[in-house]
Amino acid sequence: MSTEVADTTNLSEKKDFLVRSSSLKDVRSFSREVFEKFKIDENLREELVLAIAEAAQNIVKHAYKDYPDTQDRMAVRISCTDKELEISFFDKGKPVEKSKVKHRAIDDVKPGGLGTFFIQEIMDSIKFKEGDKPWINNLVLTKKL
Amino acid sequence: MKFKVTESENVSTVFLDGEIDMDVADNVREVVFPLIDSGKEVHLNLKGVQYMDSSGISVIVESNQRAKEKNTKVELKEVSQPVEKVLAMARKFL
Repeated sequence: MSTEVADTTNLSEKKDFLVRSSSLKDVRSFSREVFEKFKIDENLREELVLAIAEAAQNIVKHAYKDYPDTQDRMAVRISCTDKELEISFFDKGKPVEKSKVKHRAIDDVKPGGLGTFFIQEIMDSIKFKEGDKPWINNLVLTKKL
Repeated sequence: MKFKVTESENVSTVFLDGEIDMDVADNVREVVFPLIDSGKEVHLNLKGVQYMDSSGISVIVESNQRAKEKNTKVELKEVSQPVEKVLAMARKFL
């Protein structure tokens, strides 16, 4: 875990993970550590951890759908000012087709769709960007504090 | 993720302990689905589940659907607070 900026008003931590489902618990642990360090409201923390884990899961499930044994890594960056939290995800998988990113009905029980619904419920904004090299995808989630 | 299964005359109770995510969801299915397929009522005790994401919700929804097909039922027991929060969010989607 690396601290990019460490003053009291603008904090940022970034860490990368192997792209696979077994990394999700490490993504959650990293997120919890950062939220503790940033002193994020305890009532918000687990919701934010869920949103982060769902976004990371979508990278594993969708961006790397055809590459389950990839050795690629994805990165998660959590940045915080006194007013807003920004969580960025970077991966080198299949480019996201924005028009296909939507949640599904609950009876259609594929977890990715419900996960996207959870992210939308928890976060204030979701933006998909092209990643700067070497990254392909850059998802940015924000939440007002 | 840990499992314990207890049996009574008509009910199988699965005690789940730990965190339920995409990585372990199939393990939960492998434990729960055969119990449903046997036709018994299945109780999922979630007291020991500290974290559940959409993959866990999917296991619950699939279990309910499977139980209906087998003319039995699945009930959630002692739902932990973290899981209740996620279930509440998922219910908005129903």
